[in-house]
Amino acid sequence: MTGVAPANAPAVGTVRTPGVTTAESPLLEVTDISAFYGRVHALKPTSLHIGRGELVTVLGPNGAGKSTLLRAITRLTPASGRIAFEGRDVSGLPTHRLAELGVIMVQEGRGLFGQMSVRENLILGAYTRPGGDMDKQLGRVFELFPRLKERIDQISASLSGGEQQMLAIGRALMAEPKLLMLDEPSLGLAPRVASEILATLGELNRQGLGILLVEQKAPLALKLAKRVYVLSLGQIAAELPASEIRSHHDLARYYLH
Amino acid sequence: MADITQLLQSLITGVGVGLIYGLVGIGFCVIYNASGIVNFAQGVFVMLGGMICHALLTRLGLPLVLAAVLAVPIVAGIGMLIETLVVRPMWNRGATMFAIILATLATQIMIERITILTLGDQPRSFPEFTPGGPLKLGDIAVGYQLFWILGCGALMVGLLWLFFTRTRTGRALRACSQNREAAALLGIPVGRMLLVSFALSAALGAVAGILVTPTQVTAFNIGTPFGVNGFIAAIIGGFGSAAGALAGGVLLGVLQAAAIVLFGAGFKNVAALSTLLVVLLLFPSGIFAGFKGFKRA
Ligand SMILES: Nc1ncnc2c1ncn2[C@@H]1O[C@H](COP(=O)(O)OP(=O)(O)O)[C@@H](O)[C@H]1O
Ligand SMILES: [Mg+2]
Repeated sequence: MTGVAPANAPAVGTVRTPGVTTAESPLLEVTDISAFYGRVHALKPTSLHIGRGELVTVLGPNGAGKSTLLRAITRLTPASGRIAFEGRDVSGLPTHRLAELGVIMVQEGRGLFGQMSVRENLILGAYTRPGGDMDKQLGRVFELFPRLKERIDQISASLSGGEQQMLAIGRALMAEPKLLMLDEPSLGLAPRVASEILATLGELNRQGLGILLVEQKAPLALKLAKRVYVLSLGQIAAELPASEIRSHHDLARYYLH
Repeated sequence: MADITQLLQSLITGVGVGLIYGLVGIGFCVIYNASGIVNFAQGVFVMLGGMICHALLTRLGLPLVLAAVLAVPIVAGIGMLIETLVVRPMWNRGATMFAIILATLATQIMIERITILTLGDQPRSFPEFTPGGPLKLGDIAVGYQLFWILGCGALMVGLLWLFFTRTRTGRALRACSQNREAAALLGIPVGRMLLVSFALSAALGAVAGILVTPTQVTAFNIGTPFGVNGFIAAIIGGFGSAAGALAGGVLLGVLQAAAIVLFGAGFKNVAALSTLLVVLLLFPSGIFAGFKGFKRA
């Protein structure tokens, strides 16, 4: 699977005017988002953007603030700063309202409903689509992850790590998101399973889905993305075309100390 | 020493009141699973169910069926009011669980006072749903109301099961109980689910109160004993599943009834609290942990 980004992905470093609602306004535009845990400034004012149909990767070492960034964007963690989605200011909206707009996140650790079956997890994924065609949507997910169909009535906690991650992504897709954010989806998976899952993300992106992919280990994620943010010590240390990073060694140059 | 007939007789009574404890226990679990809040005002729903049903019967002269059917949504509405006026504001401000739980206790006392002022402080009762009886099995008498309690208890559990497994809102409530953050990320309004859980829980308490009143009396202050025993039933059942709470309630009711016959009425609460201690010491996650439908995430 090669990491060909869609042709309409914006070029690196495009200048943007915040708050202008046009067809060109980015899918997601985050301006000076900042979060504290008590007195620990875990996320210093950070800005980033994702174009429509773009796959962007955020890389950073353990404890850099990657999860905090995603939790701040989805309002699981209180944060200051401005968030615009499709050109509309959504800074004041709570987590579930963002989901209704199509911003869906797959949490670190997958966030499955462990005592529920695969089917129930998937059905809950479509919570924001009550009138939707459930069977059609399930069919789409099973096409991407046939393993889930075989395990449909199994309790999700009893799935293997890879299957759980597939379920987490499949559940997110049931919501027909416009922006899919994933927090270290390859964490704890065998390399082959991890690359299979990331390949599926590449495929989804080619179909036009905007993706914000957070990873700690670079190689797989770099194949997919055209543009990479490097997060270190709670701030963005660099924004680069993925082609400039070939190894973890290259990446380490951008880490702050 | 009590004879065997007397013991059997009291065990049957124990099953009836135990099922009521079970319903109250389920009410505790519904709110706790959705939010982590232990609602100590749970017992007042039992009291209000009986008192409001009685008021509708006597003051408005409604037939029993109508009074009972009306009392349940009224109490559910009071439950929603408690959520909106007391629990939600604290929850939104990020108050500690301890503070919220204390507030529910204060709410119970306040509602008891309001009940005295509006409905009076005298004990009240109304007739059994089916006149006649009791049914005689040898020397043992079984009141018809026990069958109502059994039937309605089973109906409630069946309806709850359907609600939690077959409806969008029921599933969403279970999702909140397993992983609140994941639920919110899928678009489930976690705050609104708290309101639903209070309504449901209050309705369950009201049904319990209406069912039990003909077998004893109701008064402004019966909330505490029913609340405490329902809470113990829920703990015996592992504070998770409806079936566990119901079984825990029956066990508790039977043990209490046996203790009264064997050792005297003063041992009712001793039996309840010793059961609680034994369960907490030996089976910290409830003696029916194996039955648990779902654990907390
Ligand atoms: N709930 C929390 N309370 C206090 N500190 C936290 C909490 N969560 C994360 N942190 C701290 O914030 C920093 C960033 O954490 P995190 O966003 O989880 O990093 P990453 O996802 O990049 O590994 C770390 O120093 C971490 O210890
Ligand atoms: Mg993380």
